[in-house]
Amino acid sequence: MKYQTQKIAYWYFVAALPLFVLQVVVGLWLAVNYTFTVPQAVVNVFSFATARAFHTNLLVLWMLLGFMGGTYYIVPEETESEIFSPALAYVQLIALLVTGVTALIGFLFGWTQGRPLLEIPRQLDFVVVIGAIIFLFNVGMTMIRANRWTAIQGTLLGGLLFLALLYLFGMPFYNNEVIDWYYWWWVIHLWVEGAWELVTAAIFAFILMKMTGVDRQVVEKWLYVEIGLFMFTGIVGTGHHYYWIGAPSYWLWFGGIFSALEPLPIILMLLDTMHHVKKRQKAILNPLTWTYAVGCAIFHLIGAGVFGFAHTLPQINYYTHGSQITVSHGHLAFFGAYALLNLTIFYFAMPQIKGIAVYDDRRGRIGFWTMTIAMIVMGLTFGVAGVLQTYIERVLGMGYMTAQSYMRLWMGVTLVAGIFFLGGLLFTVKDLLSLRPARIPERTTYQKPPSFS
Amino acid sequence: MTKRIAFHIFLWGTLFSAVLFLWLTWDTHHQVAALSHADTLSAEVIAGKRAFEKYNCNDCHTILGFGGYYAPDLTKVVKRLGAEGVRYRIQSPDKAFAASPRKMPVQGISVAELDHLVAFFSWVGEIDNGDWPPQDSPARLSRAALRLTAGAGLSPGAAVFQTKGCMNCHALHGAGGDTGPALDTIGRDLPLEELEHYIRDPKSVDPAAEMPAQSQLTDRELEAVAAFLASLK
Repeated sequence: MKYQTQKIAYWYFVAALPLFVLQVVVGLWLAVNYTFTVPQAVVNVFSFATARAFHTNLLVLWMLLGFMGGTYYIVPEETESEIFSPALAYVQLIALLVTGVTALIGFLFGWTQGRPLLEIPRQLDFVVVIGAIIFLFNVGMTMIRANRWTAIQGTLLGGLLFLALLYLFGMPFYNNEVIDWYYWWWVIHLWVEGAWELVTAAIFAFILMKMTGVDRQVVEKWLYVEIGLFMFTGIVGTGHHYYWIGAPSYWLWFGGIFSALEPLPIILMLLDTMHHVKKRQKAILNPLTWTYAVGCAIFHLIGAGVFGFAHTLPQINYYTHGSQITVSHGHLAFFGAYALLNLTIFYFAMPQIKGIAVYDDRRGRIGFWTMTIAMIVMGLTFGVAGVLQTYIERVLGMGYMTAQSYMRLWMGVTLVAGIFFLGGLLFTVKDLLSLRPARIPERTTYQKPPSFS
Repeated sequence: MTKRIAFHIFLWGTLFSAVLFLWLTWDTHHQVAALSHADTLSAEVIAGKRAFEKYNCNDCHTILGFGGYYAPDLTKVVKRLGAEGVRYRIQSPDKAFAASPRKMPVQGISVAELDHLVAFFSWVGEIDNGDWPPQDSPARLSRAALRLTAGAGLSPGAAVFQTKGCMNCHALHGAGGDTGPALDTIGRDLPLEELEHYIRDPKSVDPAAEMPAQSQLTDRELEAVAAFLASLK
């Protein structure tokens, strides 16, 4: 850590971690709802709908905190200056946390906008917008004051600006249900397959550059091609959500073709990671951070690229749309692309903020492997449940609950995998909050053998 | 490839996609009015949408395929269950799903809100959305019914039973829902004529019946399914 204000990031990360744990705990409760019969009296008070609102909003909240923390860590190094106003950064952190917690408590009492993922009531939306403006102002002013522009920080700022703008489309009440979903996807799809990808690509490029010592010009060249492809495929690719909503049928073509190309930039991201490893100029000091970075690139491709591609074509999507197949893809993609990216930046930045050059990664390693394996199992069990649902309900035309009765077993297996995931996560959180230097065994310095000349 | 070329790939790639997307958005706006029958978007339908959001229905149910996957899709729910079936389930979920492994919360929804919700669901059901979902598609499911009758030598009534949602609540030989009783031997309990009346309007046979009237069945379907059930002894 070279700049004092990079410390701000630490508090964003610390705030994000317990929210991640809570998200997973509520996720387990959702799996219980699928596997067992929850009594009517409990359902009346704490319904599946409320729990799902918790699960998804916690996801958005902790990930945005991670992205913002990552930004506060990266921007000083990229601009070679301190953050414009640390006080504003802390005010904004507290404002976001208070808003988030208020929203969650509100859900328990039925205070909701009632639209999936955008449940936060409109009154609170305005607080979120004000928080976003403070954040963008603070980061923007830091860059303007330093006047040292790089592709990485440009992409980061662009992604965050795009992210904030898109949020506005989720705020109005739309009379027409079709138009409602049309713009709902401007928030959801253009976030995760647009703005968030920009932020991810920028953070990832920064970490790659710092860890491998590969030349900035090379890293930034790849970055431009990647974000170019992300935007080219991702923007019109929004159309793969417009197949069955009552939009014109040309979306089957535009959505199908553009979204089928969406794995390309992710493949490129994996390739350039591998390329940079080969050409690295530095020894890898912290193998776990490195495992996270490579794991993120691979999992991103599997979850978002492969599982997304699997049901993006309209001929397949007609049967899989709105089934547990979507859930399988959603979990693998969010974990692979965004949870692992956040954990990568946590493991990259937190030791440095604490002044630990090489950290002890034994606990963290258990955490990484438990979480990734558990998530792959969950992706597969959701997938099996989804195939059963698709076949029994949509092909054979039997009732919804008939299909669900066959899926129950697989939701139970998901619950078990989820418990393992929570275990891995607790290891990881404990490890991140109590990082300690590794005890490096005494190394004998390498000596040139005497020559015989 | 130089960094400059890479930058141009980014710039023009983004601009091309953004311009195309905005143009398609503009065109979609022009077509949605016809596709969604926006002229029938009455104040009642809009009030129904507000109620739908007020009770956060969408985090358990999907509509147009989006939302929670915990409960059935609501896009064509009025066609599937009939307006009365929808009302009964929203008003008394504790009774409607008493035997089901999955419950729906009792929310104390007013009669006015109930009317609005039904109006909203009826309106959504008419949206021209490419015949989705497949499980409610008359074209696809009548094909499935034909296959069943042709392939397995089943009576047309059995096909109606399997494809018209009876199995959402009732089971046969262990397959199906358990909201209502299993019908393995229903022919012993009720004769053909009573079965017909019961399916048409359950309360006409048993005033305490909780099953909704199956008004969506045509006369031929009703006769066929009643004959099938009467044969189960």
